[in-house]
Amino acid sequence: MLVYLVKRLIISIVVLLGIALGTFLMIHLIPGDPAKIQLGVHATPEAVEQLHHKWGLDRSWPEQFWLYLGNIVTLNFGESTAFSSNIAELIGNRVGPSAAILIYGILIALIIGVPLAIIAALRQGGVVDNAIRVVTTFTFAMPPFWLGLMLALLLGFELKWFPVSGYEGGIGGILRTCTVPALTIGLGLLVVIVRNLRASLVTVLNSEYIEAARARGYGEFRVVGRHAMKNSVVGTITILASLFGFLVGLLVLVENVFQIPGAGTLLVQAVSKRDYQLVQTLVFLSGAVVVIIGFLADIAYAWLDPRIRLAGRS
Amino acid sequence: MRKLLLIGTMGALLALLVSACGGSSGGGGAISVAKEGESKTTANAACEEEPVAGGSLVYSRQLETVTLNPREIKNGNGDIFAQEMIFNGIVRNDPNGSDKVVPGLAEKWDISKDGLTYTFHLRPGLKYSDGSPLTAEDIAWNLEQFADPEVNISLAGVAQGMESVKATNDTTVVVKLEHPVAAFLYNLSIFPAFIVDKAKLESEGAAYWKHPVGTGPFIVKEFATGSHITFEKNPYYFEKGKPYLQTMRWNFVTNSNTRVLALKSGEAQMADGIPFTQVTSLQSEPNLGIEEVELPQAVILIANNRVKALGDVHVRRALSLALNREQLNETVFRGTGTVPNSVLMNFELDASDQEVAPFEFNLEKAKEEMAASKFPKGFSVKLQYPAGSDYFKQMSLLIQSELKEIGVEVKLEELESAAVAEKWFEGEFEMTFPFVGTSSDVPVPDEYAAFYALPAAELDGFKSYWTNKEAEGLVEKFISSTNEAGRKAEWKKIQELFNEEMPSLNVMDFPLINGHQSNICGTEANGLGVDQLQETWIAEKSS
Repeated sequence: MLVYLVKRLIISIVVLLGIALGTFLMIHLIPGDPAKIQLGVHATPEAVEQLHHKWGLDRSWPEQFWLYLGNIVTLNFGESTAFSSNIAELIGNRVGPSAAILIYGILIALIIGVPLAIIAALRQGGVVDNAIRVVTTFTFAMPPFWLGLMLALLLGFELKWFPVSGYEGGIGGILRTCTVPALTIGLGLLVVIVRNLRASLVTVLNSEYIEAARARGYGEFRVVGRHAMKNSVVGTITILASLFGFLVGLLVLVENVFQIPGAGTLLVQAVSKRDYQLVQTLVFLSGAVVVIIGFLADIAYAWLDPRIRLAGRS
Repeated sequence: MRKLLLIGTMGALLALLVSACGGSSGGGGAISVAKEGESKTTANAACEEEPVAGGSLVYSRQLETVTLNPREIKNGNGDIFAQEMIFNGIVRNDPNGSDKVVPGLAEKWDISKDGLTYTFHLRPGLKYSDGSPLTAEDIAWNLEQFADPEVNISLAGVAQGMESVKATNDTTVVVKLEHPVAAFLYNLSIFPAFIVDKAKLESEGAAYWKHPVGTGPFIVKEFATGSHITFEKNPYYFEKGKPYLQTMRWNFVTNSNTRVLALKSGEAQMADGIPFTQVTSLQSEPNLGIEEVELPQAVILIANNRVKALGDVHVRRALSLALNREQLNETVFRGTGTVPNSVLMNFELDASDQEVAPFEFNLEKAKEEMAASKFPKGFSVKLQYPAGSDYFKQMSLLIQSELKEIGVEVKLEELESAAVAEKWFEGEFEMTFPFVGTSSDVPVPDEYAAFYALPAAELDGFKSYWTNKEAEGLVEKFISSTNEAGRKAEWKKIQELFNEEMPSLNVMDFPLINGHQSNICGTEANGLGVDQLQETWIAEKSS
């Protein structure tokens, strides 16, 4: 077990270093100079040079990269050039709203998706199964900015149940302002949960031990809820964990439509302003979250499944 | 049952979509073009009454406010418009929309005969929004900051020519210039010359810019980056009785559909940056007013004169003659644009359309110009345009098909907006739309005339790499001439010369489009498109 963990830890650190280098190169290689973007039509060569010096962009790339690595290790992310404020503080203020709609969205997807998957699995091939397939594929295939806008039109503008945009903190505020954005994310995610859970449920429901359970005369509710579900959810949870990248993409669009002051919009602004330090930090941090989630998932499997645990020993 | 609910929801959504599409074809009120410097608004009888003080409004804004430091702008008008609420200059642009300079913190001023000495007389009893007195010393210090390119990073160019500034007594500030600068008062009226609280800035450092204290009509209550900014009435504001609003909240909403939705649902009482495509449908809404704010702003197509074909003046004239601007205005700008009669954006000083005709669409003449050029058989050229803005793609495609008529094959190159601007700056383009809209910082043509014609501006003819000795001489004289009547005549000559030489193409002059609930009165902007919210008040909702 320990060998396995150490191995996974080393791989995780290598991946994080790779992310750091990749982001650094990407943001420096694409055209667009932060100083010229800020100065716009007034960018005389002197003014550009002055800003470069002020922001440390007149140093060599290796020097800049080294400083950046140092910043990551000491968790001192420095100053944002585009917002002239402390990066840690800037990101700190934006994480809450993003996390709120993300978690809320996943919850909505689960609350709607799990029952739908069970119904579909029990009625496989039937009209209901096909209807669920069509609807979830539809909500998945719709561009989130369009789906979001339609939901805002319906639930906000027509029915006036929720505001059409904006964000408020606190439980009440989140319920009021984040329900529609979270629903947009949830509906986008629905197909993943329904398709995966349905597929594994179908397999499990056809297995011998389920037949055995049924033979014992257990009710359908008990068979599905206690026996089949237990062995079907693991796969779905894995898929959810690996979908984090997709979710961040969704988040950016949803935050834009609903005017949520989250980390997704911050990333878009940072890229368009070529705020090197801020882009690097945001991408690195979201990369780190993915790596940490993956690492935790690996530990969980090893703990659950002896085959993985023992494989580390060979 | 959940699935049924879901299917029902989707059905309702589809119905809604269909009805939304149908709705946009309604209305159809013709848009008349407002006179320059004025804004056209849907009249509301309640706004004819005496203004009422009090109340609060929400303004849904396209551009986020990133910094309140007027000498280090980060996000263009997102920053500048907020700073205009908090600070003042010693002089101001006319809130009524003309291109005149009117008193600000200074109630009057004298200019010496040689145009080198400006003596400003301050209003008596000026106070910052925290009640502390504003001194002539403070103003002198602020103007020194304005003149220091290390501090005034945003716009150091406008302080050129300043030699010294001195507070001679409690209410008098004297500024001396090295040479006459015709636009000097205009330069003092805009954001880098705003007066900030010296003592507070020095004691608080960077934290001051989160809660700056100034002399403007409003005070910042809360500034939440990325979300909103809230303002409160400044009780010490020098215009008695103003502002009318007690509080005001600006929400930063970059998505234009969301902004429009916020306005229509009543969550916001004002919204800016209304997309051209929605103007007609919003004008038909009875409870909304839509305003077209005229300002010196245009879509400029830069032609790189270092490219052989584009260096030929006949080719450049042919390109302009081949553009069907009327059609571009109909299809892209939905009739909100104006066909220009100047290479620069429209200024109040410009000669009228009767004196200098707007650019015409004439394929015959365009072909004649091509025949007279060194490229009678045409040529191929690349056009770069910014991604993420629908109408640039549409416009570029139209231009591509129009120029084909005169044998010019245009290859389109879509780039991310920061990359387009960068390539423009580096001169790595043939033809380009470097900025979504190009607007002037001052209501007079001095700034952009210098950008195009003067090597000293260090912008290589606004990166057209066009040079012209005659234009250089004329502009040099124009920007240092202090005789108003003379300037008008001189400018006409420059305007005509630019039109003849066509260093780049002005495709279209276009307005800012703002919307508001019809009970919101006094929403007119000044000649630079800056909202004058100290004039805004809320009328009783008419039943």
